Amino acid sequence: MEDYEPKITCFMCNFAFCQEETEVPPNVNVARVNCIGRMDPLLILEMFEKGADAVILVGCKPPDCHFIEGNLQAEVTVKMLKKLVMLIGVEPERLKLVCYSPTGRKSFSRHLEEFSDKTRKLAVSPLKSVSPESHLLLDISAAKDVVADFRLRVLLGRERELTESANVYGEKIPLEEFDKILDEIVEAEFIRHKIHVLTKAKPLSVKALAEKVELRPALVLKHIVNMRRKNMLTVDHVEGQTPFYKALEVK
Amino acid sequence: MSSKNTTNVKRQLPPCRSACPAHVNVQAYVALIQKGKFREAVEIIRKDMPFPAICGRVCFSPCEDACARSNVDQAVAIRALKRMVADVEREQGRVKAEPIQKKHSEKVAIIGAGPAGLTAAYELAKLGYEVTVFERMSELGGMMRYCIPDFRLEKFVVANEIAYIKDLGVEIKTGTEFGRDISIESLHKDGYRAIFLAIGAQLGMKLNVPGEDLNGVMNAVDFLRAIALEEHVNIGEKVAVVGGGNSAIDAARTVKKRGAKEVIILYRRSREEMPALPHEVELAEKDGVKFYFLVAPKQIIGKNGKVKAIECLRMRLGEPDESGRRRPVPISFSEHQYEVDMVIPALGQIAEVSCIPPELWDKESRAPSMKVDPLTLETKIPGVFAGGDVATGPASIIEAVGAGKRAAVSIHLYLTGQDLRSGRDEDIEETTWVKNWGSVNKKERRYEPPIEKPHLSFEEAAKYLEKIKRKAMFEAFRCLSCGPCAECLANIDLCEGDKAVVNESLCIGCNVCAVVCPFGAIKKNENGVAQVNEDLCKGCGICAARCPQRAITMKKLTDEQIVSLALATAGGK
Repeated sequence: MEDYEPKITCFMCNFAFCQEETEVPPNVNVARVNCIGRMDPLLILEMFEKGADAVILVGCKPPDCHFIEGNLQAEVTVKMLKKLVMLIGVEPERLKLVCYSPTGRKSFSRHLEEFSDKTRKLAVSPLKSVSPESHLLLDISAAKDVVADFRLRVLLGRERELTESANVYGEKIPLEEFDKILDEIVEAEFIRHKIHVLTKAKPLSVKALAEKVELRPALVLKHIVNMRRKNMLTVDHVEGQTPFYKALEVK
Repeated sequence: MSSKNTTNVKRQLPPCRSACPAHVNVQAYVALIQKGKFREAVEIIRKDMPFPAICGRVCFSPCEDACARSNVDQAVAIRALKRMVADVEREQGRVKAEPIQKKHSEKVAIIGAGPAGLTAAYELAKLGYEVTVFERMSELGGMMRYCIPDFRLEKFVVANEIAYIKDLGVEIKTGTEFGRDISIESLHKDGYRAIFLAIGAQLGMKLNVPGEDLNGVMNAVDFLRAIALEEHVNIGEKVAVVGGGNSAIDAARTVKKRGAKEVIILYRRSREEMPALPHEVELAEKDGVKFYFLVAPKQIIGKNGKVKAIECLRMRLGEPDESGRRRPVPISFSEHQYEVDMVIPALGQIAEVSCIPPELWDKESRAPSMKVDPLTLETKIPGVFAGGDVATGPASIIEAVGAGKRAAVSIHLYLTGQDLRSGRDEDIEETTWVKNWGSVNKKERRYEPPIEKPHLSFEEAAKYLEKIKRKAMFEAFRCLSCGPCAECLANIDLCEGDKAVVNESLCIGCNVCAVVCPFGAIKKNENGVAQVNEDLCKGCGICAARCPQRAITMKKLTDEQIVSLALATAGGK
């Protein structure tokens, strides 16, 4: 893997961007966005899917965000995504958020070069050439469903509110606890969406699903019960004693 | 105003911009300085007024007084930043302004090439009118050219800014005095459909004490004008300047620099009430000017027709008067004398209205001035407008610029036959998003305006420029950009004032967008659907990234566009 040049996508905040510092290594694609908080996690996953070896987000150094907390929002997004890509089997080091200031010591191109060097040490992204049979295909589409999921997005949006002020009951959640909740939700939602994607293709039994997602059948059943309650799944038919589940369109 | 009009647009502006009489888009050019786009910053300033370098030096900066940052630590050094960008542009070579295509056949005459007149000419030229400026003196700039000394505002700076206006195709006739060479009737006869009188307030006010006609008494305006014209002026050994305004300070510093041994400023109130800029007062003290407060001249004592001494009375401060400052009250039997051989009264200026038809005078005002409508600047004669110091009494450059802009709007409306009160954006609402000042990180102001450029070699100069540019960018980052979107169009290709759009059929009213929006620009309305307040939306797109239903998209930079941008710019840009 010596002579491989990683393909890197860089999303950059318009306001961190400085005209005079546009020396960008040739393997990096820079796309400017109005604010780094604009980055929908879905778009970042899409970049990985489309063959980027790594994605770097460049935002403004706190407290200089032009939109006050766009960079902090990006931080939450990246925190969540790192957990999610780990579940797919992609190294979390492939994703990075840099807080950059044109008046700082380290130049923009230096940041990019360093990130490029670190990525070079990793192998080619496992998502680059996915065979149609690979389980990765399932994982990616499930992951994309996860980040589009209502529950997760509400949680991300409310992170700062919950951990810094308080919820409607006046409870303030410590950041560590929030991270734990986020972890659990990412994991649970990932499995549920995997089940959802699988059953979308054809009705499956708990046993068959347990084999595919590599979990104990009891756990899968627990998720299925939950998903039925949320109208994600329904029983398609029963073969003997075994119910077969089918995915419902999520609204 | 008697006629109420509803056509006025209510604009929500940040405090700095609403405080500025010319409504210069401060937030936008500071945002551009943050990104090192200095030239674009100057262009933004020029959109609102033609004097970036002049105001960067001598403006009394109401923007800084209003700056929201002063609630946290100190105001952003707006004036110094403005000076910086204007100077950088001048040094790198200003782009020659292209003459503007004439779109209207009407001719407009402007009397007086001071800040008000030149601004009106600038704005009207941009609108495509044929503009002629008539000026009595040989050089343009009015008070900016003749009454602000060289060490505060260099002549070449004034000339450079005015050259820009000339480049736009404004015709200029110097040496033409209103009332002597031209009149309202003669201008009408020559085909000028509209006239703007901006002759300023040129006469120095008198002390009204005995001995004022002695040899050695010279009014501050006359004195400064004589110095600017490089005429010979006998400068005394010991000079007393009477007054506490900027022209008093200017005159005092000028005589000191021209070789007077001792310069004293006599002011009838105390230091707090001085109208001069505190910064200027400090510089005068550094120059060695002495201040005597709470003294007012009673008479000037002469010997052989020449000034020998000035006799003064001590004062104490009484009740506040209509200007809000405490009124000085003389203390009886407190006469004392200062030995001086030159007295410079600097009590302010009054308009020279003798050249103007008496029916246009404001007879109710104490000082001679013209009667105009404060909003439209109309006079009694249709098509004749007046503004600036001649209407308001002596004020500042930026207020004159504001008057010039207002006059230009009025003249445009008048010549196109529209209602003079319509379509004005005078209705301004101050807006900031910052609700909790305690949450803003402190960052002390460390930026000082560049005073004098050291002599440097070519390479050193480039390095020096880099250094001060960096410093300016650093200072610009102190701006909270607390107003709504500044429309700086910093990235014309991308931003163009992006706004969030809600797809109402998808929205379920979860209110996450309202939680994440830093500016409170998006809220659930009574139908339970998110609604964007376009005035407040700055287009960051955080709501779009967080909407659980993906019901919010951006007008300009959609998700699809981001993806295609990321894929299209292969190889880096």
